[in-house]
Formats: sequence, C-alpha cells, structure tokens
Amino acid sequence: MQLFGEIFGAIYLYLDSMAFLFLSAVGLIIILGMMGITNLAHGEFMMLGAYTAVLATRAGLPFPISVVFASLMVGLFGMVLERLIIRRFYGNLLQSLVATWGISLIISQGMLVLMGPSLQTIRMPLGGITVAGKAYAAYRLLLAVIAIGLLIVMWYVFHRTKFGMRARGAMQNAEIAEAMGINTSRMYQFTFGIGSALAGFAGALYAPTTVLAPLYGASFLAPAFVTVVVSGGANVIQGALITSVLLGIIEGTSSRLYGTFIGRMALLAAAMVILRVLPTGISGYLETRGERAR
Amino acid sequence: MKKRVSLIVITVVLLMAMSVGVLAKDTIKIGLLESRSGTFALHAGPKYLAAQLAVKEINDAGGVLGRKLELIAPDPQSDNRRFQELARRLILRDEVDVLFGGFSSAAREAIRPIIDEYEMLYFYNNQYEGGVADKYTFCTGPVPEQQIEPVIQYCIEKFGPRMYILAADYNFGQLSAKWTHVFAEKHGGEVIGEEFIPLEVTQFASSIERIQEANPDFLVMYITGDPHASFYPQALAAGLNIPFATSINVAQGYEHKRFDAPALAGMHIGVHYVEELPTPANQDFVKRFREMFPDVPYIGEQTQNTYVGIYLYAKAVELAGTTDIPKVIEALESGISFDAPEGRVYLDPKTHHLVRDIRIVVVDENHELHFPKTYEQVWPDWLSREKGVDLTKKPEFVQYEP
Amino acid sequence: MNKTSRFSNFLNTVNGPFSIGRSAVFWVAFLIVTGYLYFFPRFASRYDVINLTYFMSWTFVAMGLSLIWGCGNILSFGQMAFVGIGGYVYGIIAINTLDAVGNTIPALLGGIIIPFLVAALLGYFVFYGRVSGVYVSIMTLVFTLVLETFMGQTAGDKWRVGKALLGGYNGMTNIPSINFGSTGLKGASLYYFVLTLMVVTYLLLRYLVNSKYGVGLVATGSNPDRTEVLGYNIRLIQLLAFAIAGGLAGLSGVLYVAWGHYITPSTMGLTNASLPVIWVAVGGRKSMLAAIISTIVLQYFTQYLAVTGSEFALIILGALLLIVVLYMPAGVIPTLANCIGKLGSKRRQEALSNSQSRRGVGA
Repeated sequence: MQLFGEIFGAIYLYLDSMAFLFLSAVGLIIILGMMGITNLAHGEFMMLGAYTAVLATRAGLPFPISVVFASLMVGLFGMVLERLIIRRFYGNLLQSLVATWGISLIISQGMLVLMGPSLQTIRMPLGGITVAGKAYAAYRLLLAVIAIGLLIVMWYVFHRTKFGMRARGAMQNAEIAEAMGINTSRMYQFTFGIGSALAGFAGALYAPTTVLAPLYGASFLAPAFVTVVVSGGANVIQGALITSVLLGIIEGTSSRLYGTFIGRMALLAAAMVILRVLPTGISGYLETRGERAR
Repeated sequence: MKKRVSLIVITVVLLMAMSVGVLAKDTIKIGLLESRSGTFALHAGPKYLAAQLAVKEINDAGGVLGRKLELIAPDPQSDNRRFQELARRLILRDEVDVLFGGFSSAAREAIRPIIDEYEMLYFYNNQYEGGVADKYTFCTGPVPEQQIEPVIQYCIEKFGPRMYILAADYNFGQLSAKWTHVFAEKHGGEVIGEEFIPLEVTQFASSIERIQEANPDFLVMYITGDPHASFYPQALAAGLNIPFATSINVAQGYEHKRFDAPALAGMHIGVHYVEELPTPANQDFVKRFREMFPDVPYIGEQTQNTYVGIYLYAKAVELAGTTDIPKVIEALESGISFDAPEGRVYLDPKTHHLVRDIRIVVVDENHELHFPKTYEQVWPDWLSREKGVDLTKKPEFVQYEP
Repeated sequence: MNKTSRFSNFLNTVNGPFSIGRSAVFWVAFLIVTGYLYFFPRFASRYDVINLTYFMSWTFVAMGLSLIWGCGNILSFGQMAFVGIGGYVYGIIAINTLDAVGNTIPALLGGIIIPFLVAALLGYFVFYGRVSGVYVSIMTLVFTLVLETFMGQTAGDKWRVGKALLGGYNGMTNIPSINFGSTGLKGASLYYFVLTLMVVTYLLLRYLVNSKYGVGLVATGSNPDRTEVLGYNIRLIQLLAFAIAGGLAGLSGVLYVAWGHYITPSTMGLTNASLPVIWVAVGGRKSMLAAIISTIVLQYFTQYLAVTGSEFALIILGALLLIVVLYMPAGVIPTLANCIGKLGSKRRQEALSNSQSRRGVGA
C-alpha cells in the first residue's frame, strides 16, 4: 500500500508537470511551430481565455461550457487579429516578435484598465481524491487526461483530415498549395484562429487553479516557449509530446528531490543543453534520423 | 547669469501659480511613488488613494503651518529602474519636501541610495522584512518581531509545536523564515521542514505533496504575489487541511476577498490592521475612504500605513514649524504619536519604526475575519536591542539582517 | 604607413558603405549635435544633466544589439543579462577594492570584460552548436530568465563575495560611483564621461562595421551558407560580434549601477529584457546612430508617460511598437531620413529642371 501510494504520488506529479508544459504550449505549437509566428502575446491569449471563462461562469454558465465558450471567443479574436495585423509578418520571425510584444502590452494593460488589478477566481471543480492516505486534486488529474485527449485530437486533425493536410501543406509551401487550389490566405487565418482558440482553452482550464490578474499569462510564457522551441518545427505535435514528457520528467524529478527552485532551473538548463545538442529541436532530430534510416 | 535664470524661473512659477490662484511656494510638496500599473498595481494602487485622502483631510482642516499640502505622484509602473528615475526627478526637479512610497523591498532599496545622496526625508509604508536603520528613512509598516512572534506563539499554543515553513524565495521570505526559527525555539516549537519557492511559480503540486508527507501541526506561509496565491485553491483541492500562520497574506493582498471560500479557512495572521478591524476609529476611516473612493477593492495594511505616514509627517512639520528636513527629522524623533485608524501608534525615535497593537486575525470557512487576541503596544525593538541602533545618537544608512 | 594616412584610412572606413549617414551634411549635423551635448551642462538644470546621463548609459547595450541584429541578423533577447552581469561584477569589484586600490578602474574593466567572456561562452554554445534564427532569441531569453531566477534567491549572508552582499531580489546596494583616483564621478563629470564614451564607441563601431570583419558579419547575416562557402569562418565572426555586444551591454550595466548605486535581478526580467529590442527596432536596427537616438528619445517618452501617471502609458507604448513595425519596418529614423533625403533630392531635381528649362528658354 505504501509503495502504491509512492508510485501514485510520483505519477501524479509527472503527469501534472507534463500536462502543464503541454497545455501552456498548446496554442503556441501551432502558431510558432507550424506558422512561424513568434507570438509573444501567447500568454495574453491565455489570459483572455481565463477571464472569459471565469466571467461566463460567474454569469451562470456551467464551467465546462464556459471553457468551450472562452476558446471560441479567443479563437475569433485571433482570427480578427490575424486579418488586421499578423498576416503582414508571415515568414518574418523577428518582426513578428516585436509586433506581438506590442500586442501583448496593449492587451494586458488594457485588461488592467478595464477590469482592475484582480478578478475573483472560481473554485477548483471536483475536489480531492485520497490515495493511500494522501489527498490529490482530482481536477489536476483531469487536466492531464484532457492534455492527452487534446494531443490525440490534434494529431488526428492535422495528420488525418483533409483540412489538416491542406493546412500543413499551406504552411510548408504556400505557393504549391496555392497552385493546387488551396486558399492559403483563408487557411492561415483559420490556423491562427485554431492556435488562439487552443491558447484560450488552456488559459481557461488553468483559471480555477490560480489567481486571475492581467499578468496571468506571463507565468506560462517561459514554459510554453521552452517546450515549443525544444520540440522544434519539423513535426510539431509529435515533438511537443516528446518534449513535454521529457521536460516534465526532468522538472518533476528535480523538484520532487530538491525543491521547486532546482526544478525550475533544471527545466531551463535542460532546454539549453538539448538545443545545444540538437539545434533543430527534438522533432527536427527525429526527422533527420528518420530520413537517414530510409 | 544665475540670478537672471532664477528670476525667470520665479516669474514663470509665479505666473503659473497665480493662474491656479494659489502661491506655489505656499504648498508643502509630497512626492509619492506608488505603482498604478504593472505587477504591483493591485497592492500599491490603493496607497495612492490613501495619500490623496490624507492630503485632502489635512488641507480641509486648514493645512499645515497655514500651507496646503500638494501631492506629486508619477507612476513608477512596478519597475525598480523607474523608481530610481522618478525619485531623482521628484527630488531635483519638483523639489519635494518629503518622499513617500515603494511597495516591494526592492523598490525601497532602489530609492534609498538616492535618498541618502540628496539627504531627503523618506517614508516607507509597507510591512517588510525589517532591519532598515537609516537616518532619513521612516518605516510605518510593521516588522517581523511585531508580526511573526505573536502569531507563532499563538499557533504553538493552539495547534502544537511542529511547523512547516513555505516561503517565497527572496529576501522577505528567507528572512521571515529565519525569524520563524528564532521565535519557534523561543516558544518551544520545532520547524520540521521548510521550502522556498521562486516568485514566478504558480504550480504547487510537489510542495503540497511534501507538506502532506511531513504532516505538521501548522503551516507557516511567507508566499507572496499573485503567482503564489495560486497555492490556496490548489491546497484546498488537494484536501490539505492544516491551519496556516502568516504575517503577510489577507492584510495586504485581500486573498480572502479574491478567492472563493473556503480556500483560506484556518489562516492565522499576525498583523496590526485589516479593513474589517471592528473599532469605531477604523469604521469611521473606512467610511470616509469609501465615500471618497467607492471603487477601492480593499483597504489593506499598506494603505492605512500610507495614511498614517502622511499624518505623522504633517504632525512633525507642525511641531518643527518648518519643512526643513533636519528639523522635521528632529521632530519625528521627539517621540510623537498619532491616533490612527488601527489605534494609537508611537514613533520609536531610536529605530524610526512604529510601536503599535498587533492582532491575531483568523479567517473562517466563509472568509469572515475574527479577532481572538490582541497584543498591545508591541515594540519594533530588534534593531535597538540586538544591533544597538540608536538613530537619534548615531546616524546609519544600512539594512541589518538577523 | 605614416600616422596621418592611417588616420585618414580610419576615417574612410568609418565612412564606409555599411553605415547610414555618410554625407557632409550628416557629419556637420553630427558635429553640431555633439558640440551641443558637450555644452549642455552649462545651461541645463542639474536634474536634466543627471537624467540625460542615465539615458545615455543605455545606448551602449542598444549599439551592441544593433551590431548583432542589424548587421549580423542575430536577434538576442539576452542583452539585459549582460547588463546585469556587468552591473553586478562592477559592484562586487568596486565594493571590495575601492578602499585598497583607491579607484574603480579594475571594477570598470571587469564589468566589461566578464560580460564579454560570458557572452563569448554562450555564443560558443549557440553558434558552434549551429543554433540559428529564432532559436537563438529564445535561448538568450531563457539564459536571461535563468540568471534572474538565480540572482533572485541570493539573499542573505551566504551569498557574500568579500564585502559585497549580492542581496537577492532586493538587490545589491551601496555600489560606489566610478572613480579614477580622486573623487567619484557624479553629476556633470559623469555626464562628460558617458558622453565621451558614447561618441568614441559609436565611431569605433562604425569603423568595425565597415572593416573587413564587418563585411564578413554583414555577409553572414544576409546569407550564412554562401558566406561560409566563400571561406569565412562564420561561427567565429558571429561569436565575436556576440561577445562585443555582450561587453557593450556590460558597459551599460556598469554605468547604470554607478549612476544609481544599486542593481536588482529584475533588471534582467522579462519586461526589461525586451527593452533593448524595442529601442533598436523602433529606431532602426541597421543604424547605430538610430539606435542611440531612439534609446534616448524612447526613454524620455516613456518617462514622460510615467510622470503623467497615465494608466495608458504601456498601451501607448505597445501601440507605438505596432505602428512602427507595421508601417516603418526599417525603423523610424531611417524612414524619416529617407523621406528627408527624397525631399532633398526632389528639390534638387526641381531646381535642376527649373534651371534647365530656364536655360532652354534662354536658348
């Protein structure tokens, strides 16, 4: 029983940090990984999702529906933003960095002006479960399950559906895709919308676990970028899976053994070492290895 | 040449002043640096309002020495560099008579070298980790020996001796943890574990697990800031059912208002002031405050301290008969007291900190506050007792650590 | 080669093709503005002098970023980390050695050399690992955040270097002014020191950019593969530029702490880390001078917004950034210069055609 408790505790921790890394990164995987837009406003998209979900819940919607509603709203917002601003920066990583930094300043400070410095959170749903004498938050286990489900859905959408194939085609080579009759402009807008919606979705999911403030998104930014960049651009979904598992294990183990500070340092240090060894990221490495094997 | 420039300046100032209808040299200028944007807007924003309230009340009552108070309050945007720039600006360009402000200790330490360079008078109005002994600095917030000792003593008596410390990994958290060790030993307690959390961490699963593992009688919390506040809902969901002791939460960041009950149930705070303090003086203060600023989210301890600070300054100027800084400091060091919303405070001349009543505040299941015990007139005397500080006799400009 | 020809050689290189602003008009304007700046303390208030000193201290990190980003096409988000290293190193050495040595020259040099070396080390990691593009930006950003997190927990007595306490999140205080032996540089003397350094650094960097090395750097920036094929050691070229930028950032850090006697880890925080990028991007990353001007002007502007206490300050800053990258992707100052240049050439053309038509009438 003691041993089972230990094992369950460890699994819970690992799942928790993997889910956190993956969900932080999920919108960015598409926007940066596939589209090549360095979206520094990623955290603000998550913040918008969280605010929308909490306000909707307070207005009387059940929490799960609020989350869906929030991701739709943020997705819509992303599509408008894409049309107005983002589309001028395709293929220009450095310019998009500056532009999205500006957007992030406007959104976060705008929220402060609009809603004040803090928003009352909602209670974490589901309560706790007790395993071998220790209590765990059921909602966090649910987050891990959602992360896995989301991963499967995304893989299916982008690898098995017609839309996903077209979208990936448009991202990889716009000219050929255009020649094949794909409306790349619409494709880009849609994909950006999906990326934004996913960021909003993740933001909404984490809303009950933390304090809501206009700078809510900032704490997600570093883990999100680390995950996406370490994963690399070649095959983003697969890469993100491996990266969040790998980094999750590194962070989980070191913070379990040596405390949260070492855990955070280990995460960042691991990211730098991985990039040094595999400069195109994990998925880039897998890709070239795959090619060589063939 | 110099004369002509100053002549022009005076003319311009006079013209400007006359257009407002007040003679410019007649106001006493109070520089205030409190962030209304950025990370600390939540905590520091209301301090700006408190200063406005105090200035208005004093001016309505006829001002000080027949002169009106004037508040000059740029926004340092929670940026320590901005604090430095604006402190210099207020001192050199606006030529303020006194400087107030700074929320974080980092902001205070950013300002202090500049204060000392120009020999300016400075009020810091937050509870903090203690130890500042500076001839030009007056601290109206409480310090560890006032806050931590009562609450640790109370919790040991009530729950048992075994405590676990969870602290933010920076100066305040580390020093408070050190203090806790000292007071735990003094009152027969035992620290069975401690952990320091980097400031930007929001996820506490591994800490919660370690705490459950250790199973202490109560938890001592020095976690601060918005990211850390995420601990409470996470602990609640994980079913962590242990009483908390703290010196910092609720009174400053009104977590009991920002979280759904019962996330903070069982929290014990050693503090001098919360908005709910049930004394007539405070209820009257809250009423006046909310009449002038109906939208203020919460009147925290730092907000009240700012109000107290401005009154103490006004009182000292009245006493000194001038705004000349050495004379005002002399007046402040003459043993003055003030009937604040929190109760009577006395300014300890040796340490430049306030002697005041400390309450144990308990948060219940519905996030209502209760006040089971008051420790009367607690002295901020660690500096004078342990470090031999006496600022009236020997001016110093340092921050001591235990 | 005799002295004069070497000097004219230097001047020719300074005025080489990779710098914007090569006309006689430009140099006259440059001399006038520099002269004005040297006379500034004679008539400006003490506060304005101190404030401008502070703004000028930050131009070095901007020039360094302009070197690696504008010429080498390497966008670093980590320049503030080197500012931090420079500041801390200066503080540690100065606090420990001022009494013994009587000046802060070792601290000043250390505050430049150590960030230079750290940047070289990080650059080795990055460039010899063949990391490129946006990955470099993210790696440097992560480096900055690691350093901030690390310095944030260095409170207490165990983080003491000699007499200097690192001070954790609250920062290191009581850092001495720059001191060459008699008294510390303060007010106008610090102003002249920073101004002179700024002018000299600007000219040296122009020389560097237009030298053979600069040609290699610019070539590497625009097409690394082709440059490598041409026989350039592009890794070394990038590494060196990155290290120089690190040293310049360190100099900014030194001047900043000598001005404010204080440094915190938040100097290396996320918001601050983006500042040099903003200054350089808004000004125009391909021109050192644009980087200098926009660093100073933008700081005046943001300080003004802070003074007015408007809660819209950051929104306005964000909007400004957006407008610049949307409508003036080359940066404000080159765009303006271009407009003025066009206007000038238009007028010249008009004058030309006028005189021609007049001649035509005459004939």
